[in-house]
Amino acid sequence: MTDLLQLILSGVALGMIYALLAFGYNITFSTSRTINFAQGEFLMLGALTGLTAAVTWKLGYAGALFAAAIVGCLLGVVLEKAAIAPALKTRSAVSWILATVALGIIARNAAERIWGTDDARFPAPLGDDPLTFLGVRVLPQELLVIGAAALIMSGVELFRRKSIWGKAVTAVAADKDAAALMGINVPLVITFSFVLSSAIAAVSGVLVAPLTLAGATMGTLLGTKAYAVAIVGGLQSGLGVLVGGLLLGLSEQFTARYVSTGYKDTPGFVLLIFILLVKPSGLFGKKSIKKV
Amino acid sequence: MRTVSKRVFSLLAAALLAAPAFAADPIKIGVYGPFSGGSSPMGLSMRNGVRLAADEINAKGGVLGRKIELVDRDDQAVNERGAQVMQDLVSNEKVSAVLGPINTGVALASYKYPMEAKVPLLINVSAGAPVNELFKDYPDNYVFRLAAGDPIQAEMIVSEGVDKRKFKKVAVLCDDTNYGQNGRQKMEDALAARKVTPVYIGKFKIKDTDMTPQLQEARKAGAEAILTYGIGPELAQLANGMQKLGWKVPMIGSWTLSMSNFIDAAGPNGDGATMPQTFIQAGASTAKAKQFIADYQKKFTVERIPSAVAAAQGYDSMYVLAQAIEQAGGTEGPKIKASLEDLKKPYAGVIATWAKPFSKTDHEAIHREHVVMGVVGKGEVLPPAK
Repeated sequence: MTDLLQLILSGVALGMIYALLAFGYNITFSTSRTINFAQGEFLMLGALTGLTAAVTWKLGYAGALFAAAIVGCLLGVVLEKAAIAPALKTRSAVSWILATVALGIIARNAAERIWGTDDARFPAPLGDDPLTFLGVRVLPQELLVIGAAALIMSGVELFRRKSIWGKAVTAVAADKDAAALMGINVPLVITFSFVLSSAIAAVSGVLVAPLTLAGATMGTLLGTKAYAVAIVGGLQSGLGVLVGGLLLGLSEQFTARYVSTGYKDTPGFVLLIFILLVKPSGLFGKKSIKKV
Repeated sequence: MRTVSKRVFSLLAAALLAAPAFAADPIKIGVYGPFSGGSSPMGLSMRNGVRLAADEINAKGGVLGRKIELVDRDDQAVNERGAQVMQDLVSNEKVSAVLGPINTGVALASYKYPMEAKVPLLINVSAGAPVNELFKDYPDNYVFRLAAGDPIQAEMIVSEGVDKRKFKKVAVLCDDTNYGQNGRQKMEDALAARKVTPVYIGKFKIKDTDMTPQLQEARKAGAEAILTYGIGPELAQLANGMQKLGWKVPMIGSWTLSMSNFIDAAGPNGDGATMPQTFIQAGASTAKAKQFIADYQKKFTVERIPSAVAAAQGYDSMYVLAQAIEQAGGTEGPKIKASLEDLKKPYAGVIATWAKPFSKTDHEAIHREHVVMGVVGKGEVLPPAK
């Protein structure tokens, strides 16, 4: 029983990481119908910036989070201006994909130049000694990741639903032209969505690095898996990415434990293909009507 | 137009005439390995060891009066990339010999190019690459190794766990690369020879960060020790995962448990990890070895060599190769190969004194007596307790 609980717990922690990154895809997709394929690399840049802030500049974990958030915001602005805005202007369906992928490669190469190619240990703010609940051992950092992810996601959802700014974002998501007619500055809202999504990615980097080690290649696989999560859950739905993340995290752990460690990633991706076949908009996605 | 081509022609002629003046063109030696990614502590240490040796040789006048020029290429630990890099070294750079690589998969994907071009490949780190096994298909074998191969390492790991520490139940945990899976096979063979069946065999992927399922399974099976074959970052996740589960059993594994990225990322959780080593920085006893460490530290401004084994093997492999070229009196592949197989002058290296390290039928320089078991402790690899 404790074995099972232990497995569920580490699956949830893993799933929350995926969900948090996928949430970033969801934010930008809802406003601009584009996503940032460099999201995993932004997570990595956040983690490494945080590492420099926490270890080299001795600003502590809060300093690391803050530094990562700033870097994330800046990256978001650069990304939107350099890769997304030109593509939206020309209504090109592929150029933003290539541009964000390219930006990701640049980010990874730059990180290798600045921080080297090795994986470094990121000191965990609450220590490395596991806590015990009902015989289940859990690292404080895992709880922090689960808690912070839930907080960030519910915070953003609340903002989207309750605040005037959030409503502007929702309006742009629903109908850009109508939103523009209502006096909403659509390009600004889109830029804002990229800033928010990039900042979340960078902050997630600082959250997960104590569990995963920090290094220039840490984001690539996470970015891919988060993308699968976003597709499974539905790119349009905040709840969808949360469920998708948990589904993937738990399926990985359970397959590794009860089937074979070699097939760990299989169920998640089989599910991805299945969902694409039967419900392309994702588990919780609304059917999108493409207007030509 | 005509005047231009005339001028070009005369320039070319002048260049051709001038060529004999550079009689001592450098001897090109290819060096390839992962200089980025999770295997990079080994790749960079190996390259630095080779560089240190080459610089020393050049400072003393080079080989055959010619300077050694290293051509280094990053294979990124990617198999296909290793094949490309090797073709470039052999066909475009026309190197006289090649040193490297680190990763088994890279070695497997690339060894046939030097074999066909009759360019000696002296493997100085990869443990899983075939060497003497190649004689079957290539009687004229151009692959040599100065590193502890998997059969030696697997045997030592199993011997440490089963013979010395008397464990009856062991779990085997390896990564899913060519390296990890070759090692798993060799360890299973060595266990089978002792009539021991592992209670659990698990694997993990490069970049996996959560090893909970594998460790739970091993614990449930009642493992008293885990035997590993992987590289630094994932091995560290295993050590950290054991700490998380509150289940600590000895970790015994291939030499990669000495990598700096294992020791740093595992921190105190990695203490006690035991692995075969050809060279231990903290255990250097000969004057030559101490000098090597001091020179390395000075030249590359580090305290702890990220992978001392790779650095020492890199250094010795460069010297052994230089000695063979000197003895061959030229840089033709077959001549260098013949001298490697019959090295006349013993060379006192940092790992051992190499007197006839290779023969016509044995291309392995390192044997059981060159290897000891190192133990991780206090953030470095310590020599075995006397």
